[in-house]
Amino acid sequence: MLILAIDSATPVAGVALMDEKKLIREEFSNYKKTHSESLMPMVDRVMTESQCRLTDLDGIAITIGPGSFTGLRIGLATAKGLALAVGIPLVALSTLEVLAANVIGCDALICPILDARRNEVYGGLYLMKGFTPENVYPPGAYEPEAFFNTINEQVLMSGTECCIILGDAVDVYWESIGRIMGKRGIKAPPHLSLPRASALASLGLKKLARGETENPLNLSPTYLRLSEAEIKRLKGEKA
Amino acid sequence: MNSIKILGIETSCDETAAAIVQDGSVILSNIISSQIAIHQPYGGVVPEIASRHHVENIGQVVNQAFAESGLQYQDIQAVAVTNRPGLIGALLVGLSFAKGFAYALDKPLIAVNHLEGHIYANFLEHPGIEFPVICLVVSGGHTSLLYMSGHDESRLLGETRDDAAGEAFDKVARVLNLGYPGGPVIQKAAESGRAGNVKLPRVFLDRDDFEFSFSGLKTATINQWKKLGAAQEHQADLAAEFQAALVDVLVEKTMLAAEKYGVKSVLMAGGVAANQYLRSRLEKEGQKRGFLICYPSLKLCTDNAAMIAGKAYLSYIRGDFAGLSLNAYPGL
Ligand SMILES: [Zn+2]
Repeated sequence: MLILAIDSATPVAGVALMDEKKLIREEFSNYKKTHSESLMPMVDRVMTESQCRLTDLDGIAITIGPGSFTGLRIGLATAKGLALAVGIPLVALSTLEVLAANVIGCDALICPILDARRNEVYGGLYLMKGFTPENVYPPGAYEPEAFFNTINEQVLMSGTECCIILGDAVDVYWESIGRIMGKRGIKAPPHLSLPRASALASLGLKKLARGETENPLNLSPTYLRLSEAEIKRLKGEKA
Repeated sequence: MNSIKILGIETSCDETAAAIVQDGSVILSNIISSQIAIHQPYGGVVPEIASRHHVENIGQVVNQAFAESGLQYQDIQAVAVTNRPGLIGALLVGLSFAKGFAYALDKPLIAVNHLEGHIYANFLEHPGIEFPVICLVVSGGHTSLLYMSGHDESRLLGETRDDAAGEAFDKVARVLNLGYPGGPVIQKAAESGRAGNVKLPRVFLDRDDFEFSFSGLKTATINQWKKLGAAQEHQADLAAEFQAALVDVLVEKTMLAAEKYGVKSVLMAGGVAANQYLRSRLEKEGQKRGFLICYPSLKLCTDNAAMIAGKAYLSYIRGDFAGLSLNAYPGL
């Protein structure tokens, strides 16, 4: 089985081509260029330089959210265009799960966090089972201090010694994390701290093999947050 | 040359649209998924909500365009997409989809300017129009007069200095408690009212340039409404007078331009061109002066992808294709 993975959920853009045996090619960019300009040329390079055709693919994996609303849509719309034209399914993975998959070979808890702006983080808590992250605290948009307190309690309850924290919000909130979690919070090194399309491809292949696919005709991102207008309207109705 | 069939994709505002047009003139399908009802409770288009619906529906809408045309994906020769101007997040959905779709089908990608698409809608239905023409572009985001000596040779004669005509319609409709979208609801209210019962200014009509200003008219309307105690019984009269004041300026300036530049044909394009009062006034004044007046049918006045696929034909003929790094832009 051959899968193309496309990620533009955060400021990182990534594309990877992988089959069950090997990672064939991967592109990663954390350089300030808009995804809209860089993503399709990345797809083109990955496919062309691997001498691979889109019709050889069995599916396309996509980070479905959370993340930047616009980034998620650029990735999903691109993947929909490709998948629909070729007639292959999409496979959707949580951005947080993909991040968690960067860390393997340890029984520590893994806490991916993304900067959600407006003084919130998108976060969740995962436990690595084999090479697959298992969700133990649900993904959501959380107030950072409250979230780190909850994670700290989860770590204490689990009996594990520490929690590996990664994602683009780590540096933003490192001070609060240190204050709340002390030595229980361990910062992942930079090369493991951002979403990798290869990790997305790896998880995507397993989902594809299980037949857990999505229809490109009606798939939507998992935003984890309403639009600003909807939030205001709901507040207005309550008031 | 064999017939050229182009898929057009349009997501610049609140309509998710796809169409297939042959040789820039024959509409094989024209699908529009409107979000008007979704934005109605907010009294205007909410960009983030529009983008969310675009990304959810885009595949469905494109497939409908193929189904209605009876064509297979491989039967098209190119994919055209609106990449400016418009809501940036909304544009990016259509653009990203179009890039992936064109790349996977190994077809060229063509970038189309939304306003040029609106103008081209005239040529979809009236292929005989001869240049030069004067074109009045009136929409929610733009109000401008153009002198066009060819499809891609146009000169801006003047534009609005503040609100676009469509914007003024929306804002006034909101104040008069008429709802959204402003154009259709004011037109409807005006039918049972009488222009002239209340007096509103015709801004810039005394000047012989081609600039517009509707912010003053909007404010005057709102002030009158307050002065009249925001009473229901004045709603229709005020709507009628507002519409008349706005249309008077649009029509007079357009006639002035047509006379000054000695053209035979006058075109109108954009969402506000769907306004019945504007259509009939322009028609009447144009006929009086011997101009050929053109405007698209209602379905092609509002945002659609047929106009995008139509305009793209000219680029196709020239071999003017876009690369995979094509971006979207909110402005012209
Ligand atoms: Zn428009």
